[in-house]
Amino acid sequence: MKTLLALVLALASSVGAGAAAPVDDLQALVDAAEPGTVIDLPPGTYRGDITIDKAITLRGSGQAVIEGTGTGTVVTVLAPDVTLEGLVIRNSGDSLDREHAGISVKAPRVRVIDSRLEDVLFGIFLYQAPDSEIRGNTVQSKDLFVARRGDAIRMWESHRTVVEQNVVDGARDLVLWFSDDVTIRGNLVSNGRYGLHFMYSDRATIEENALIDNSVGAFLMYSEGLRLRRNLISGNNGPSGYGVGLKDMDGSRLEDNLLVGNRAGVFLDNSPRSVEQTFEGNLIAYNQIGVLFLPSVRGNAFWNNTFLDNTVQVGVQGGGQFGGNTWTRDGIGNYWSDYAGYDADGDGFGDVPYRLDDLYDYLLDRNPELMLFADTPASRALDLAARAFPVIKPRPKVEDDRPLIEPPAIPDPPVPLPTQSGRDLLAVSTLMLGVATATILSTRHRRSLP
Amino acid sequence: MTTEALPRNGRSLDLPERAQRSSVAAIARKELRDAIHSRWFWMWTAAFAGLAAVLAIAALPGSRIAGSASYGRTAASLVTLTQIIIPLMGLTLGAQTIAFQRESGALRFLLSHPVNRTEAFWGLYLGTSAALTAASFAGFGAAGILTALRSGSGEAGSFVRITLLAWALLLAMVGLGMLISTLARRAAAALGSAVFVWLLLVFLGDLGLMGTAVATRLSVSALFFSTVANPVEAFRLAALASFADSFDILGPAGTYAADALGSALVPVIVTILLVWVAVPVSIAWFRFRTRQDL
Repeated sequence: MKTLLALVLALASSVGAGAAAPVDDLQALVDAAEPGTVIDLPPGTYRGDITIDKAITLRGSGQAVIEGTGTGTVVTVLAPDVTLEGLVIRNSGDSLDREHAGISVKAPRVRVIDSRLEDVLFGIFLYQAPDSEIRGNTVQSKDLFVARRGDAIRMWESHRTVVEQNVVDGARDLVLWFSDDVTIRGNLVSNGRYGLHFMYSDRATIEENALIDNSVGAFLMYSEGLRLRRNLISGNNGPSGYGVGLKDMDGSRLEDNLLVGNRAGVFLDNSPRSVEQTFEGNLIAYNQIGVLFLPSVRGNAFWNNTFLDNTVQVGVQGGGQFGGNTWTRDGIGNYWSDYAGYDADGDGFGDVPYRLDDLYDYLLDRNPELMLFADTPASRALDLAARAFPVIKPRPKVEDDRPLIEPPAIPDPPVPLPTQSGRDLLAVSTLMLGVATATILSTRHRRSLP
Repeated sequence: MTTEALPRNGRSLDLPERAQRSSVAAIARKELRDAIHSRWFWMWTAAFAGLAAVLAIAALPGSRIAGSASYGRTAASLVTLTQIIIPLMGLTLGAQTIAFQRESGALRFLLSHPVNRTEAFWGLYLGTSAALTAASFAGFGAAGILTALRSGSGEAGSFVRITLLAWALLLAMVGLGMLISTLARRAAAALGSAVFVWLLLVFLGDLGLMGTAVATRLSVSALFFSTVANPVEAFRLAALASFADSFDILGPAGTYAADALGSALVPVIVTILLVWVAVPVSIAWFRFRTRQDL
């Protein structure tokens, strides 16, 4: 133990001497440590790549940089109960096949706390690392084409792991495989491919995350008992830009999420298989399609949600016989911004059902290329004409008997929704009015022909 | 109506260019003043500004709930409104210029002055365009101010681009209206044709394409290019590009267009719109200059 302290002091003084050159002996330092040791790394740059094969804590207070060789994984953890805290980890290799990562963990109960991973292919890779904790880290991938990047956080058979308060920007995916009972909370994932992607991971709790401007928000597959609450999922606009995509899921519960400005707010593909899924209190707003179903999907219940100004509120991909989903529960329907009914008895519920049976929507479901005409006067004229002369009466996609007149309280987003100052707009608009006024006034005092 | 009696206005051709310019300006000013003193100008201005303001106010609850994501929706509604009203304004008023003035004798009176037909034509075009520019800028200005004041959220860059594109659409429609005006025998026919062309551009063209796409499985490339050939659609798609993240939101045809044209996408669409600004009015000018019976 004394030797170790001496070594650390020696290292510290060598760093203090002003050399920015990487310290060579981090691996030696780790090798010399007894299990259970806490190694406080003074600020400085340490040469990776290193392997940790005993239960130690490596702590860097945010200024100890472990610089990889650029040919492999920077920190490999092979022993349980290792803690990595406050480190900066840089420069992994760039082989997708060999899964070069900033931190690669192959043992249970490992904690990665408050660290920063930069210029790494994969960020944190957990392989059979149950009961681990990934908290407060920042991950930035290499500046590569998105499919060539690695995953910010990748978990494989790591049950009960907690992923909390991490910030991921510009990586590929945050992805979980075969990991049950995980908690994903308070993370911010932006500008990647899949904000969150998992398969065969039952009973996950996903809450208060912000998945913003990715290609796909959260795509969740082949799992049961998902709980998705109070997340902000917005601006996910790739070719299959779903806010939340559920494929072959069972018994999912989505509550109080904000699904805003995605290509499709929710996409349902063969979900549920047998156990009902519920959607309660979500805001589904400004998406190109609010909820997109494959035609055979049934067994979903929606109530107390706000469907606000989605270009298409509910879409059915490919048309076909669609039904078997519920839009009212316990006498509570949803708020639909395009509801044209009334509430004469003042009980807060519309007196006529909300029916989604627009002709354009109907055609669009069967001919997706007609999306080119969404929002045109022509597509609206088509709907009006179909209503006035109901020669073709599509079967309603949605029938909500108890539509809400006012939108329910909107949950607070985990991070503030982007807003912009109106100052510039005010300035240019005033200028436009000025041009208009000047044009009109210019005719005032002049006489006409020469 | 015989034109032999009209003086051949060769005289002003010998005048210096500045004098020609000033007579174009004078005719334009007179046209503008007549427009502003007419009822229709205020009706259009009030209708456009009023509806645009209603749209801006209608979008407010959303902007409070969903922040600047709601701007896209406000902008999309404004684009739809523009698509309907601007072509109607431009076409009907463009169509009224020459045909109406010929029927009322105003055109003969104008041409009895020392101005040639080129000056008269461009004077009428500029005056009508200036009046409609004022009307549309008033509408966009009102909508923009309401959006900015009431919700504190807006994208100035996109808004300016939409306004400029709407202005280009307006000029294209005035030019097309004037072409109709030079083709029609009578004023009523000119107005009727203008309304029909409006229906064609705003409704029937799209509906026809939708029908064709559904019935014949039109390829997405054919669908996209036949849609964007329409100046009203060129305006919409170019405007959409100013606030939508990508053309993927337009479905397969949009994805195709973004892939096929890449970074040239918006320039190509804007060029189509500018061709519509330049070509009809040039043909109209050519006809007006060469056909003395007009």
